[in-house]
Order: sequence, then C-alpha cells, then structure tokens
Amino acid sequence: MENVIEIKNLCKKYDNFELKNVSFNLPKGTIMGFIGENGAGKTTTIKLILNIIKENSGDIKIFGLDKKYDKKIKEDIGVVLDDMFFPEILTPNDINKSMKHMYKNWDTVMFNNYLEEFNLPTNKQIKTFSKGMRKKLEIVTALSHHPKILILDEPTSGLDPIARVEVIDIFQHFIENEECSILLSSHITTDLEHIADYITFINNGEVILSKTKDELLDNYGIVKCSKEEFKKIDKKDYIKYKKNKYEYDVLVSNKKEFRKKYNISVIDKITLDDLMVIMIKGER
Amino acid sequence: MIGFIKKDLAMIKSNFKFLALLIIVYSFMGVLGKMDISFILPFISVLVMISTFSYDAYNKWDAYSATLPDGRKNSVKAKYLSTILLVLVMTILTTILSFIISYFNKSINTEQILITMCGTIAGTLLVLIFMYPVIYKFGIEKARIGMFVGTFGLIIIGGLIITYFDISFSSKVLEFLENYLIIILVITVISLLYISYKISERIVLKKEF
Repeated sequence: MENVIEIKNLCKKYDNFELKNVSFNLPKGTIMGFIGENGAGKTTTIKLILNIIKENSGDIKIFGLDKKYDKKIKEDIGVVLDDMFFPEILTPNDINKSMKHMYKNWDTVMFNNYLEEFNLPTNKQIKTFSKGMRKKLEIVTALSHHPKILILDEPTSGLDPIARVEVIDIFQHFIENEECSILLSSHITTDLEHIADYITFINNGEVILSKTKDELLDNYGIVKCSKEEFKKIDKKDYIKYKKNKYEYDVLVSNKKEFRKKYNISVIDKITLDDLMVIMIKGER
Repeated sequence: MIGFIKKDLAMIKSNFKFLALLIIVYSFMGVLGKMDISFILPFISVLVMISTFSYDAYNKWDAYSATLPDGRKNSVKAKYLSTILLVLVMTILTTILSFIISYFNKSINTEQILITMCGTIAGTLLVLIFMYPVIYKFGIEKARIGMFVGTFGLIIIGGLIITYFDISFSSKVLEFLENYLIIILVITVISLLYISYKISERIVLKKEF
C-alpha cells in the first residue's frame, strides 16, 4: 500500500522535552489516530510534519516528496491546529475571500455549503462564536480546498456530542475517496475507535505502538487476575501490568495465545483508553 | 499573497471609521487654519497596521500561516505591501485635501504641500522599516517597548549632538541636497524598505511556531 506520509527516525530536542526517533507511515486512503497523553509529543510531531518547526534529525516525506517541495505539498494538506488560529475579528466571509487566493483549489461553494450545514453565520465576527463553532469553522476551512491529506490536531475537542458525530461523518465521507487520508490526534479515543484504521501511540516522545486498529482491538486484551495468578505469568507474555485494589490488570498482545497457555478466563476486550492508561501508568 | 493582504485589510476595516473621522477633523482644522496635521493620518495608518500583529499573535495566526502554501513568505510580503498601500492611500488623500483646503483659504503652496507629502511618506515608512523586523524577531509587545525606547533615545542623542557639536554643512552640500532631496529620499527609503523586508523574511523563514 502506498504511503502518503512517511516518517523515519524523527528527533527534536527542547530543553525540557525530546522527541526520540519517531517513525510511522500513513497509508493512502486510511485514517490514523494519533494518541498519547498531554505533552507526549503529538503536537510536536504534527508541527514537524507541517514544517512549522525544524527537526534535529530524521526524514519526513509527504506524497513521496521532501521539504524542498513544501509549497506543492501544502496545496494538498488541510490543517487544524490544536489552538484556535483565525484572528477573531474576522468573519467566515473574510476567511473565504482570503483563502481563495491562498489555495489554488479553494472551493467557495463547498465552504459556504459546509457553513450552512454547520449553522455557522457568514457575517459575524469569530469572537462571537462559541468554542465549538470556532472548531467547526477551522474544520470547514481545512476541507474546502479539496486536500488529499487532513492533518488534524484535536479537531473534536470542544465539540458537543452531536457536532462530534457530524464532524466524524464528514471525515468518513472525506475518506470515501480512496486518494484521501487523515492523520488525527485526539484525546477522545472513542471517536478514534469508530473511524481510525491505524492507531499510533506516542508516550514521552517515543512511538511505543503503531498498528492497525483491528489488530489492536482484536488481539490485545486486559487479563484480570489475582496476585497469585499474576505471579505465575511469564514476564515475556505480557506488556505491562497495573496493580489495583483487589486485582491485577495485565496487558497482553495476544489474547488467544495467552488463553491457551494460562488457565485464566477473564480477559477483557481492550479500549484505547484502557490501553493508554495501562501503557502509561502500568509497570513492567 | 493577495489572500494575506485581504486578510490584513479585513482585520483593520473596523478602524476605517476612525480614520474617516480623522480625515473630517483634519479637514475642519485645515479650513479653520488652526494647524497642519496632514502627517498624522498616514502615521496612524501604520499604527493601525501594526495592531494586526497583535491580533495575529493573540490568535496564533502565524503558526497557521506557516502551514499554508508559501505562507511564511507571503505573510511577510503582504504585511509590507498592505502597510505601504495604506500609507500611500492616506497620504494621497490628505494631500488632495490639503490642496482643496488651501484653495478655499486662497493660500496654495504647491511646493510646500508636495514636500510635506514626501516627508510624510518617508517618515511613516521609516517606522515600518525599523519596526517590522523587530516585531518579527521579538514579538509585538517587546517591539512596542523597543519603539518607545528607540524614539526616546534618538531624540536625546539628536538633541545632544545639536547642543554640543557645531554641525554645519557647506553651501555646496546644501545646494546638492536641495536639488536632489526627493531622489535621495526615494532611493534611501526604497533601499531601506528592501533591506527591512529581506531581514523580516529571513527571520520568519527560520522561525519556529
């Protein structure tokens, strides 16, 4: 499968944080959920991909092209950053008038249709918008120049459940064109469980997992066991464990194999939230 | 780049009423013959343009603009061009008003009006020339303090030089300046503008958001 984003050994060093050898690929026509706790390196990685900060080392290729083709690459990328970014004295109309000169493929009709669909006023200043409305406007803007990749940093934060469903529907519709792909960071992992094809998990500046969602949710599991049962488990058969008040939660990467080997029947299906908690808070 | 200019002009459209009010005040004072404030309008238009940096910084627009095609270069180019455009429009407007007012006052001094116009353009663009690279490098808040300290410092240094040194030019120099002042001014301002723009562009191209 062709990759639209290829990241190899990406490093970026700050005084108090370091991104260490981040590598992953985003295949064409897929959605990748990029998860991790606050400060794990999601936004830094996204900023590096977008070339708004410079890496210390490593390679980034988008559509097979490197940074020399920055202008060409950016014509085909739609972006939502984690912070709001439109000057709030502008109106959606002002944004339309400006953006149609910034992107070759800007589609005013599409932009206006989305505004109508999301009930966003065209002539009101953004400062009068709620947080959710601002986010919707950013998403609408990211979509309205027919990008081939959407790079979205927390696009659903601040949205109410109804708006989140609307936005996710739009992402799914966007991906129906198999030329299009999405890299999406989010804290709302239930959204990712619905729409993502791949999950990349970053912790403390390192990618600790990058797999298909199905592989992850089908094969990974949480074994619920007592202290005595836990003591019998070979260290190489689990990834991490977390000690609770009355039992142990043990993260395993192959439920079937584990079940065959040990006589422990309670293996819960994993959610992305469970995975994050046990990977970050768990012990080895 | 046109998109960025449109965005900057859209951001200051709420200030247009204020600028229109200033034009009326200027016309009124001119007709009364009280004082010539023709330089104030272009100067204020630069300050209005500088205020767009505050909006950009507050809303983190710069990071987003860096994600747009050629966004870093175009955003700088647009800031310079929209400021120059606004200064020129305001100066031409006040110059036309100056002619109309002096016609009514029956005191047309074409040379004086044109010299004021050139001086105004040069003076206001100097603010842009020195301020914009500083804003791009250090941010709008620090640049404001810098502008205050810089202006204050220049006035003191200028005052000291005039007070303690006997500065006089030979008649040949004065004659040369008189004949070629406009050309010298135009060449100097355009050269400085270009240098200032290139410095700003370099700062923004290297900047991390």
